[in-house]
Amino acid sequence: MSRRYDSRTTIFSPEGRLYQVEYALEAISHAGTAIGILAKDGIVLAAERKVTSKLLEQDTSAEKLYILNDNMICAVAGMTADANILINYARQAAQRYLLTYNEDIPCEQLVRRLCDLKQGYTQHGGLRPFGVSFIYAGWDPRRQFQLYLSNPSGNYGGWKATSAGANNASAQSLLKQDYKEDCTLDEACDMAVKVLSKTMDSTKLSSEKIEFATVGQTDDGKIYHKLWSAEAIDELLEKNDLAKKEESEDK
Amino acid sequence: MDALVAKYSRPAAEESDPFENELESHDLMNPADHLSLKFAMPPVAQPSSWLRAATDDRSNPECPIKIAHGTTTLAFRFQGGIIVATDSRATAGDWIASQTVKKVIEINSVLLGTMAGGAADCQYWLAWLGMQCRLHELRHKRRISVAAASKILANLVYSYKGMGLSMGTMCAGVTAEEGPALYYVDSDGTRLAGNLFCVGSGQTFAYGVLDAEYKYELSNEAALELGRRSILAAAHRDAYSGGYINLYHIEEKGWTRHGFSDTNPIFWKTKLEKGEFSNVTSELE
Amino acid sequence: MEVLLGISGKDFVLIAASKAAMRGATILKASDDKTRELNKNTLMAYSGEAGDTVQFAEYIQRNAQLYSMRNETELSPPALANFVRGELASSLRSRKPYQVNLLLGGVDKDTGKPSLFWLDYLAALAEVPYAAHGYAQYYCLSILDKHHQRDISLERGIELLNLCADELKRRLPIDFKGLTVKAITADGVKDIPYDDDKIVKSA
Repeated sequence: MSRRYDSRTTIFSPEGRLYQVEYALEAISHAGTAIGILAKDGIVLAAERKVTSKLLEQDTSAEKLYILNDNMICAVAGMTADANILINYARQAAQRYLLTYNEDIPCEQLVRRLCDLKQGYTQHGGLRPFGVSFIYAGWDPRRQFQLYLSNPSGNYGGWKATSAGANNASAQSLLKQDYKEDCTLDEACDMAVKVLSKTMDSTKLSSEKIEFATVGQTDDGKIYHKLWSAEAIDELLEKNDLAKKEESEDK
Repeated sequence: MDALVAKYSRPAAEESDPFENELESHDLMNPADHLSLKFAMPPVAQPSSWLRAATDDRSNPECPIKIAHGTTTLAFRFQGGIIVATDSRATAGDWIASQTVKKVIEINSVLLGTMAGGAADCQYWLAWLGMQCRLHELRHKRRISVAAASKILANLVYSYKGMGLSMGTMCAGVTAEEGPALYYVDSDGTRLAGNLFCVGSGQTFAYGVLDAEYKYELSNEAALELGRRSILAAAHRDAYSGGYINLYHIEEKGWTRHGFSDTNPIFWKTKLEKGEFSNVTSELE
Repeated sequence: MEVLLGISGKDFVLIAASKAAMRGATILKASDDKTRELNKNTLMAYSGEAGDTVQFAEYIQRNAQLYSMRNETELSPPALANFVRGELASSLRSRKPYQVNLLLGGVDKDTGKPSLFWLDYLAALAEVPYAAHGYAQYYCLSILDKHHQRDISLERGIELLNLCADELKRRLPIDFKGLTVKAITADGVKDIPYDDDKIVKSA
């Protein structure tokens, strides 16, 4: 029955579903987990790296975390190749806004621009939807720190803590359990690694397996964002007693 | 949707060719539009300067085309509605082309337009405006406001700005929501609401008489007389105005016409009965 | 001889524009309002080519309103000024450029910061504490250079405006029929009464 409808992105099934969009969501649920937590003084994004190999050049490229503009970053869950197209689009949109208004684009507007593009691929014929969910972390003067999640259908929403990718249901319930209003960025970072350690297959983590990024405010009020170095990640893991033991690494 | 927004969010300056746009963009909404609005342009780089070279008889008396120009028109708002008055002379260069031109254009039963500048431009576009007003009535089941009608015209002439249109017109009407409403619209794209306007080569003479005695509280009779006298003043002093005085009064029920009367007997009546125009001698010394 | 004047202060921007609408040797209207409200706390005053002025101002006004509807926030005065500059710049290189000079004043809704921008038809943009367009520049800028300070109150701003207007009445050879004066504060745009009938004689 469903076979007749699922090859087209633009056709509803008799039950009123868009199969291609659901398949895209399914594809994402196999991708590495990404989580985002909003703290009172910043936001942390953390993601699980799926491709790990000793031969892989580690520091040349972030696989799952990207900078969109001066006050926004995002985490990717899903097909990296699709994500690249969308990230390129978002960066251009943000720069075009900056050029037009000489002000940074408000976070929600940038999210919506991307979601409008994603939505288009669920409606116009012959094309496949983008197989990517994004978690966005950003700051703007009107609404301060903000965290958003968007999926292939073009839906998006604002969150205090959210997740995407493999095991996102369990990650979500862990976040719900542990989330405290008014937590600090440091507390949020601790919580992020703890949640990741529980949702990932291996219990012991290392900087090879995860990526970390934060958006925060310096003492003089400036907004910064940074993608963490391997050393900084290992230090955080150490502090939370989640680091992989030296001897196990040799196996 | 975005294409639609893009269409309306583009500045007029970026519209490539108003002649083409007119036809294409309105096709869906007004199937009747193909009846009008398609003009052949002269095959030259700058139609407007070419047109000016061919028609401007002040800078070149030998110019091949002499456009009918020169006018006095006036309209003013008052307690009893609006008075609209014009002369009736059309001149082409130094030559009087006609003494019996109708310069008040009856857009519909409640809206009047006046004509100054290029006679053809005014006649054509005010007739076109009449069509737009009727379409508005059919689409919205109510009469168009004077504000909206004048803005349609102003936007239209603005889309042809710099291409040689020459119009100075007034849109006047009385509607339930606006009361008496008067707008000045010219081919620069200017559109102004006001109590009183005079337009044309004789405008200064008409203003002189009108401004001195104008009051909003004028009675109907006094207002009609003031309109008539102001046109007479211009017909007398302006070489390019004359002929007949065309006089209208607009009320909410619609306009009424108060004659198309020869200036000559009115002039002599005014002079002999009231002693005005004392510079003109009626007897040989 | 159109007059545009702008003065900013501690928590306000004042914008004044002459009331005469002239065509050739005739004043067609003596109560013309050469300003448009772009949103609740931004006002733009314009002068220049007949027709272009209103068309451009309303085009900007509607785009500002469209932005507000789409995004449920309003553009700040600096963002609007930059947007207007961009539109003028692209118009300048089009087949038929808009010949419009502008003053744009506003108060930021969130920060309460007033800002005043001067733009000309060549798409130059400058943020300034006080500004003028046309012949008013020659008379008023020197007055404001001397008397203006950044933290003045609205009352003092109106005094300075009257100082400028009196000088224009005294020395400009053509009557500009008085001024429309508007003040933009955090509460929005409001009309400031201005006495058009005051007669100013030269010494």
